Amino acid sequence: MTETTVESVDTYVDAHEHVTEDIALVVEDTDLPRRLKDRVYDTVDAREGVTTEQADEIAQAVESRYLDTRVDPLDPVGTVSAQSIGEPGTQMTMNTFHYAGVAEMDVTQGLPRLIELVDARKTPDTPIMIVHLDDEHATDRERAHEVVWQLEATKILALGDVSTNVADMLVSIDLNDETLLERWPTYESATEVAGIVADIIEDNLGVETRRTGTEIEFGPEEPSYRELLQLVEQLREIVFKGIEEVTRVVIRKESVDDSDNDEEFVLYTEGSAFADALEIEGVDASRTTCNNIHEIYRTLGVEAARETIINETMETLEEQGLDDVNIRHLMLVSDIMTNRGTVESIGRHGISGSKESVLARAAFEVTVNHLLDAAIHGEADDLNGVIENVIVGKPVAIGTGDVDLRMGAAPSARKSADD
Amino acid sequence: MVDVSQHELVPDHSLLDEPEHVEEVLEEYNVKKTDLPKITRTDPALPDAAEPGDVVRIERDSRTTDTAVVYRLVVDS
Repeated sequence: MTETTVESVDTYVDAHEHVTEDIALVVEDTDLPRRLKDRVYDTVDAREGVTTEQADEIAQAVESRYLDTRVDPLDPVGTVSAQSIGEPGTQMTMNTFHYAGVAEMDVTQGLPRLIELVDARKTPDTPIMIVHLDDEHATDRERAHEVVWQLEATKILALGDVSTNVADMLVSIDLNDETLLERWPTYESATEVAGIVADIIEDNLGVETRRTGTEIEFGPEEPSYRELLQLVEQLREIVFKGIEEVTRVVIRKESVDDSDNDEEFVLYTEGSAFADALEIEGVDASRTTCNNIHEIYRTLGVEAARETIINETMETLEEQGLDDVNIRHLMLVSDIMTNRGTVESIGRHGISGSKESVLARAAFEVTVNHLLDAAIHGEADDLNGVIENVIVGKPVAIGTGDVDLRMGAAPSARKSADD
Repeated sequence: MVDVSQHELVPDHSLLDEPEHVEEVLEEYNVKKTDLPKITRTDPALPDAAEPGDVVRIERDSRTTDTAVVYRLVVDS
């Protein structure tokens, strides 16, 4: 720890009117974390006229209370966390019905979402992204819309009418001028955009197209009714602009605290492609998030995945009114899930399934398989964990179970109680 | 490519390049190097110079204190 000097406390003295150098020195001398020290300063400041002795007393009291609330040695924190998340979990909604959470969007909530998170599912039931925009695009609705068209997957039905002419074996598309110019804002004329659309169709379907103005026609090489219908089917699937996974984008105006502008536009997307979204011009790549922990892991790394697991679990609990679950429990869960550098699920395929002890694994799920495999491979069990010792009937190495007390046998300074 | 380290979810990762620093960390926690949490070599937030066997220092904005420092061992895949 660094030495507390008069100079180093200057910042706290300057920041608070009623904090003297001496008060700052006694507070800085405690083992409190920065956050608690600051709160002591704030309290002392608010009270006004606190003497150095009183400040010392306050600091001592806070410190002893702080030391009291720390986890005791040999405390089974994992079990406590499991109970602390598990009990509120029983009060969560069990139905999978989604309802409009944020901006009329379908978002999985409650127990299903919590299970999804601790199971570390490859894709969530309802993937979403919260896309923040850079300063240039965040305040102007028009510019924000430009980003929307870069995100939202545009299919042919959004651009115009498709009709099938069976007699001439032709598919004809009548594109809507306004929509074209709206979705390709950088182009001047609709016919130019129609040319792009025609090119995309040619590339994807491998057919020759004929274009007059904003009308596009094409058909199968050989007259075939089946092929014609197939072309129409494929045409509907083509993504002309945007990200394929993103099916819908909602713009919301939100207030921000730490910026010159009071309000900014934030985009909520249904469907996610996090890495692709970050590359788009106008997207603020430092604040944009998504609710798929694997996508976060792939693009931003384990540490970001850890943060996301904590945020998502806490939000899920808060939404259900269970915000009194301490964040430390969720941090522990998240730490364990990301401990090996990847995102692992809690359960048979993840944490519990890769425990060292045979008996611990067997006690969780698929008992016989684990015992059989262990027997074939000649595994040994060191009986270090809790479950193993419960199974064999030994005291568990946790709490008082791990402490050996011996009564002092040697008589020291013999003195009778009668004296 | 986007600069991953600029994202607010990504804390500062720095390489412990001096072997003595690694020793200090292991001594402080009284653990073996392999007992540390891991980070894969392919992790996007990892400094470019990191090789398997290196230890990275991660300084997180903590929810319970101001900053929390953790260490991760770089491993293959």
